[in-house]
Amino acid sequence: MISIKLLAPSLLGTIALLCAQSALSVEPKSPDAVHMALRILASVYADMESKLPDQLDRLAHENQEFHDGSAALRDAVADESPDYKAKVLAALDTTVNASQKVSDTSATHDTVKVRATLEQLADSMRSLNALFPEVIRAEPGSVPAPQHGGGAR
Amino acid sequence: MGRQLIKSHTNKPLPSAPKRVKLARMTRRELIAGLMMVPAGFAGYRALADSRKRSEVNLEISTDGDLLAFKPGELTCTAAALVHLSFFHTGKYIHQDHDWVLTLPGESNAVDQAALLAGEAAGYVAPRGDRRVVAATPMCGKGEHLSIDFIAPGPGDYPFICTYPGHAAFMHGVLHVIPR
Repeated sequence: MISIKLLAPSLLGTIALLCAQSALSVEPKSPDAVHMALRILASVYADMESKLPDQLDRLAHENQEFHDGSAALRDAVADESPDYKAKVLAALDTTVNASQKVSDTSATHDTVKVRATLEQLADSMRSLNALFPEVIRAEPGSVPAPQHGGGAR
Repeated sequence: MGRQLIKSHTNKPLPSAPKRVKLARMTRRELIAGLMMVPAGFAGYRALADSRKRSEVNLEISTDGDLLAFKPGELTCTAAALVHLSFFHTGKYIHQDHDWVLTLPGESNAVDQAALLAGEAAGYVAPRGDRRVVAATPMCGKGEHLSIDFIAPGPGDYPFICTYPGHAAFMHGVLHVIPR
C-alpha cells in the first residue's frame, strides 16, 4: 500500500511541473502565423550567419531584415491575452536588440566579436521560441546556413 | 498541288500554236481540278503548320512568403516551348528584392557572382547579354508581380536563382526541360 505521505509530494511536484510548463509555453491563437514568423526570423538569422567571415558589411542590411521580420511576430500575437503578449513582445524586443548589436559590432570587422554577438542573438531567439509549444518553434539553426560557393548549381 | 501546278506552268517552254489549244484545254481542266483541290491543299498545309507550331507553357513561381525560398522549387516545360513565366513576390514584411534568373547548367554560381560584381547601381543583376543567362525577370519588390516570355532551351536541367546578394544560397531551383 502506498503511503499518502509519499504520494503527496510527487503529485504536488507533477502539478508544479505542469503549471510551470503551461506558464512558459502557451498555445497561441494563431499557431500558423506564429510558426511562420519564427521561421522568418530563423531564415534571416541563417542569412546573417552566412555572411561570416568575409561579408560583414552586409550584416547591417540583414539586421534591417530582422527588424522587418519581427513585425510578423508582432502581428501574429496581436490577439493574445495582454500578459502573454507582453511576455512575447519583451522577448522579441530582446532579440531585436541582439540583432542590432550584431549589426553594430560588424562595423568593427572583428569576426570573433561578431560571432559572439550572433551567439547572443541565437540565445535570445531560443528564449523567444521557448514561449511557444515545441511543434511551432523555429530555432536558430533550423534553417541551415549555406556553404559559400558550394553545390553544383 | 496548287503550287506544283504553277511551277509546271511557268517552267514549260512555249508550245507551238496547235498544241497550245490542246494544252490550253488541258490546263483549264487541270486548273478546275486544281481549284477544286485548293481547299484541301490549304487544310493540309494548315495541319502541317499546326503540327510544327511552337507549344506554349504557362509557369507560375513565387517566393515562399518572406522566406528566402522559391515556391515551387522545380518547374517543368518542353524544349523550344514558348514559356510564359509569372513571378510573384509574396513577401509581406521584409523589404527585400528578388528576381528569377534561369542559367545554363553549372553556371548559376558564376552568374550570381557576376550580379554581385555588377553591384547595387546595376540592381544586382548579371550584365545584359550574358550568355550564361537563359532568361531573367527584373528585380521585384514585395507584393509585386512580374511576367516574362522566353523560348525554352534544349532538354536538360537548368538551375534558377535569385541574384540579390546572398539569396542564391537559399533561393534556387531547377527547370526541367523535357524533349518535345
